[in-house]
Amino acid sequence: MSEVKFNFDNIDLVEFGVVINEADEEKAILVPVDENVQNALKDMAKETLKLMKRYAQNRGGPTKYEPTEKYESSEYIYLSINDEKAGHIKQLHYAENLLLDGNILDKIKHNPSSIFCYFCRLRDKKGQRLTALRKASQFKGILKKRLLSIMTDALRLIDGPVFKLDNNFSILVDSSIIHILRPNEFEFLGKLKEAILASVSKNIEAIRNDIPFVDLDGLEKYAKAHPRAARYLASIKTNMQISGITKESLKRVCEEAGVKVYEEKDKIKVQKGYEMAFLEILDRRRYVIELIEGSPERFKADSRKKL
Amino acid sequence: MKEGLRFVRFFMVLSSISPLFILWAIRGPCISTNNCVISEQYFIIFCIFMFIIPNLFLGYRIFVAWKLNEKREIAVGRAEDHRDHLLVYLFTMLLPFYFADLSTWRSLSATLIALAFIIFLFWHLNLHYMNIIFAVFGYRVFTVYPPEENNLFSGRMAFVIITKRVNLFQGERLIVYRISNTVYLEENK
Repeated sequence: MSEVKFNFDNIDLVEFGVVINEADEEKAILVPVDENVQNALKDMAKETLKLMKRYAQNRGGPTKYEPTEKYESSEYIYLSINDEKAGHIKQLHYAENLLLDGNILDKIKHNPSSIFCYFCRLRDKKGQRLTALRKASQFKGILKKRLLSIMTDALRLIDGPVFKLDNNFSILVDSSIIHILRPNEFEFLGKLKEAILASVSKNIEAIRNDIPFVDLDGLEKYAKAHPRAARYLASIKTNMQISGITKESLKRVCEEAGVKVYEEKDKIKVQKGYEMAFLEILDRRRYVIELIEGSPERFKADSRKKL
Repeated sequence: MKEGLRFVRFFMVLSSISPLFILWAIRGPCISTNNCVISEQYFIIFCIFMFIIPNLFLGYRIFVAWKLNEKREIAVGRAEDHRDHLLVYLFTMLLPFYFADLSTWRSLSATLIALAFIIFLFWHLNLHYMNIIFAVFGYRVFTVYPPEENNLFSGRMAFVIITKRVNLFQGERLIVYRISNTVYLEENK
């Protein structure tokens, strides 16, 4: 895990924009802003970095994002920009020559919920780009006032309760890493739910070769209808070692964990109602402890850390 | 996307036709007769006004963009040099209007209406970048097309870049000031 690849002391360019969602079409639109707003955006990005460093210090460094993990509302996690789950945010980071419309906020004032998020693109003197994102919530307040003038339609910082930028961003994206401060917002902004559901078949195919003795067809159908199961599949494919699992060891662990499976035509099939539990086993989330002899206790781990 | 900044673009169009008023001021309102319907004195004052005000406005808009730091990054996919546009502009607009007869109310009205058509077309077709003033200060005008890529958010629009560079190459990234939503000015290089 590397530092944020961006020089915050040498910022050359600040661009501000919104992603709007209208009629199922998503558009990223730049909004011109004056130097005061640009400075406020720079401060927000710096504050985000400061918070990330503080969380990293408190928890012994950032951890890699896992779709099945339960996270606090704020903690520092990261994900490679080349990870397939980063697709949506990666597209925004690498987008070129975005549309620019100084009147866009005025145009959508009757439908402020169409603003999906706001973002800021910074460029340092070396030409490195940093994209910072935040889910639009407080930002919607701006739509109540018209801030245009004749000479320029750039937004300006003004006194009073018209528009309040947040204190920090939720995500910083550099050339290789997505740095996440608010995991929930990352999942929302990255459209993770949709991406993970869409990749169920691909993930099933990826693990099929490693455990050919398991009938995965039923699990695929189940995962397509259950986002949590789809998350387990994504996690198993990305983070867990599957090759090397034998039919016997899997059957034994299932029995110990109380997950009902049966064999048919040389393949392990999962009994209806136990699909989620079976995936939890593959994702190393079900375990048994027998501290009192003869009384094994079964647990499920919402969060886990490999020792 | 709508172009926006209508007022700015209108004055930029007036600025682009402003050299015509210098030519008219030198020539006077009438070519071959002394029975002019407008006084030469007022005509010259009008011409000077029509030259100075739009160009002052253009200068002010550039100043505002600089003052507010209205910069953005533009990636070059393909760039076309538009020096030929200036020649077309010169021969199809400036020279025919220079020879226009303004000695009668009828010819004066026809000329002004024709000029209004030209102003409207320049404004409507976003040709407000065509301006001899830029060339006088050593700038060239390029149309820059976006890189061809399959990105959901990337813009597909072409931009006009006014720059002192002689060439723009594919893959270059320019930091430019916004004059209007389609016309951008690069700082001296």
